[in-house]
Amino acid sequence: MTVSGLPELMTVLACAVLVIGLSAHLLVADLFRRIISLNVASGGVMMLLLVLAVRGPGDQDPDPVPQALVLTGIVIMAAVTGLALALARRVEDPADEDDRDEETP
Amino acid sequence: MMPLLDLILAGTVLVTAVLAVLAPRRDAAASAFLIFGVLLALLWARLEAPDIALAEAALGGGVAGALLVDALHSRRPPQPQAASSWAARITGAAAGAALLAALLIGVRAVPQARAPLAEEAYARIPVSGVEHPVTAVLLNYRSYDTLLEIAVLAVAALGAAALAQGHRPVVRSRPAVRGLALVLLPVLLLLAAWLLVAGTSQPGGAFQAGALLGAALVIAHLAGIGLARPQGLAGLAWTLAGLLSFLALAAGTAVFGAGWLVLDPAWAPGAILAIEAILAVSIGAGLALIFLSNSASLQQNGPAGEPGRAAEAEPPAGAPS
Repeated sequence: MTVSGLPELMTVLACAVLVIGLSAHLLVADLFRRIISLNVASGGVMMLLLVLAVRGPGDQDPDPVPQALVLTGIVIMAAVTGLALALARRVEDPADEDDRDEETP
Repeated sequence: MMPLLDLILAGTVLVTAVLAVLAPRRDAAASAFLIFGVLLALLWARLEAPDIALAEAALGGGVAGALLVDALHSRRPPQPQAASSWAARITGAAAGAALLAALLIGVRAVPQARAPLAEEAYARIPVSGVEHPVTAVLLNYRSYDTLLEIAVLAVAALGAAALAQGHRPVVRSRPAVRGLALVLLPVLLLLAAWLLVAGTSQPGGAFQAGALLGAALVIAHLAGIGLARPQGLAGLAWTLAGLLSFLALAAGTAVFGAGWLVLDPAWAPGAILAIEAILAVSIGAGLALIFLSNSASLQQNGPAGEPGRAAEAEPPAGAPS
């Protein structure tokens, strides 16, 4: 049972977190911080879906469909974060330095 | 009337989100993000989503946290990056504000009643084979989502493994670490098994159990328990097993049953529990493979940096861990 007012607050919070993460993801140059920003943005998306799952009269059970979508999203985000970190590590690896110098004119 | 706790929780979530993206140093950003993840788990519990809270605590806090903290040990400090220009920042902030306004307008336009899909999901629980609605959605109504999810995990794990520079060897660790692992591992395995079985009737399920199994595998590997080799052939096979068995189930139902992934109520409970068990092990193996592939590059210049061979032979005792 949700307390009235909680969904409204969470809707605004979810949109704010999503926009903060997305903007930082596009503006920050450091790869590691970019990955963190993307994770923050995904937190906002999940919050939005979960708020939509509890809308309606207070005594109803939450909607399981958005909740299942978020559960899927969490696993995918963890996997994608791992792959992104592996890629970022290789980009910054001194052993691959030569390749990078050739790429930049 | 809103409880004070919710206001504080919402406020701290916002503050940690801002800190996580604004902190100039990587370690500060990672710590802020870890706190953000723990607070999110609390928030999910407040939003009547105990399944998500469990998964967030295990995956968002645990696995992602371990990956990020591990990545801080980068052998070379990051190069000073050129800060984005003020014009870019102002444009970004303006675009962000416009997006926020558009999002709020859009979300508020969503009707306040519960979606009709939810009614259908609850109505068909008796024929879904499980009692817990979220598990029913994940493994019966929308099992395509889960099939594709496990495919994404398998591809990410293979990608990370392909990028790894060498295997992280099994190194016999200090007795204290080993002892702690021997205490922790049975607890983790029991908890994972309980979460898996509980998922049919209450919050829990394959994803949360899989995250715990992944953590157990990483702990076992780091403590030097030789059997746990997520980067070995068996680890790779288990990583793919979830996807392959899910595909086999899909093909089986398509050929012999009513259609792609349409489960007959008669054998749905058994099929769901079996596929969940395979998925949990597969998710665990995949996550452990991703983690160890990431940390393997640390060992590149170490004594066992020979790619491909390090995992086969246990280095002599006393090798630096």
